[in-house]
Amino acid sequence: MRKRANPIIVCRCEDVTLDEVEKILEKGYRDLESIKRLLRVGMGPCQGRTCIPLLIRLLARRLKKDPEELLIPPSRPPLTPIPIRLFVEDEKRAED
Amino acid sequence: MRSVLKTDVVIIGGGISGISTAFWLIKRGIKNVVVVEKAYIGSGSTFKCATGIRASFTSEEHVVLMRESINLWKALSQELGFSYMRGGYVWLLSNEDQLKAFRELSRIHNSFGVPTRIISVEDVEKLVSKIDTRSILCALYDPLAGKADPFEALYSMAGFLRSAGVRILQQVEATRILQNGPQVVGVETTKGIIQGPIVVVAAGYETRGLVKTVDVDLPLKNVPHHAVITEAYKRAFDPLLVDAASGSYLVQTFHGGFIMGTEIEEREEAQPTPRVDFLYKVASVWIKYLPWLRNVNFLRYWVGYYVMSPDNHPIIGPLPEIDGLYVAAGFSGHGFMMGPIVGKILAEWIIDGKPSIPQAARLSYKRIEEGKLIHEKAVIG
Repeated sequence: MRKRANPIIVCRCEDVTLDEVEKILEKGYRDLESIKRLLRVGMGPCQGRTCIPLLIRLLARRLKKDPEELLIPPSRPPLTPIPIRLFVEDEKRAED
Repeated sequence: MRSVLKTDVVIIGGGISGISTAFWLIKRGIKNVVVVEKAYIGSGSTFKCATGIRASFTSEEHVVLMRESINLWKALSQELGFSYMRGGYVWLLSNEDQLKAFRELSRIHNSFGVPTRIISVEDVEKLVSKIDTRSILCALYDPLAGKADPFEALYSMAGFLRSAGVRILQQVEATRILQNGPQVVGVETTKGIIQGPIVVVAAGYETRGLVKTVDVDLPLKNVPHHAVITEAYKRAFDPLLVDAASGSYLVQTFHGGFIMGTEIEEREEAQPTPRVDFLYKVASVWIKYLPWLRNVNFLRYWVGYYVMSPDNHPIIGPLPEIDGLYVAAGFSGHGFMMGPIVGKILAEWIIDGKPSIPQAARLSYKRIEEGKLIHEKAVIG
């Protein structure tokens, strides 16, 4: 594996580098759902807004696959992290 | 193009049950094993679970088998190097009726070697920092219980299998079980036929449909259950908390996020769909105990299935109608924690003709056919 002087960060929330992604590919994993859970890419506060599109492009080119074969992780709610207090009726009224 | 692959054992389902079965078959010296997974390993219920592992159940079968599973969790985590800890479960009790019921449960647990006990409010405060105990009377503590990281656990087991030569076929969907008279002969998949004299169906919520292809209708029902995780924080406390009154749980994962769940009314076979009323309910239960959660963010919300059997116990073992066909399904929300022992039991059914633990033999399909159900009451979340 190539050694980089300056690591290339793929996922800023979880500090995952391109080298780590390549290591997982060498182990034989070929889909984004597994790479997500092996490296935690896309599991931080931004929920994969930057790293998942980057990885779709990288893997589609590298593995010569259609994006749908890469098993793109679904977007799960909420769209952005939200404080739990907004789900407690009394506190919500107090904030309104 | 249709291809044909030949093997000794075909396992349908790359979740904890199927992977654990392959693991124990290899350990017992079976060499040719193929696992078929329709999406990616763990994609069914394993990676949607709440990570908790306990033996504090209400039936002899569950208590004994989960206790054995807990022994295996420890051994496997040491052998394979994944995160597992016995942080305990704390069942928060808020009134005399609950206390009475849990005293009786503790007596059952103790009689099968599971050392649960009633603890005081002060003990709860020592185990769970910054908990508001004003609404509780006391708690049931289960020190043997704990949690494992499902990703690390499954990936490390799968890594072991790959190095032992097991083929784990992902994005390959089993569509039909093939039989020749009373003998199973293989599995038809979206990528061709896999021939083998032994087929194990450990396909979670797809198990019923797959077994129907050989005209056996297992009484399994898929019920959606909801879970939400917060952003990650530094380690706050180790035990998994259960609010006995509402059937809610909260646990901090090894990575730091708090996973929460609660019981909400759901229809059998409903599509797993997020519901805002779930977030309201789970938030109100846990903010009462952990007021600092107010300022913690919900990060991600998912819905998975509990595959419910008529008596809340899994069906594990051979299907008498068809030689060579085995199932492991209907875990009713407890498939992850039971995974290690389930694989061992199935390997024993396949190699020895019966499991070494008598309680395990009672969980085969025979009990359903004979109407000898074994009821479990402690299903939460």
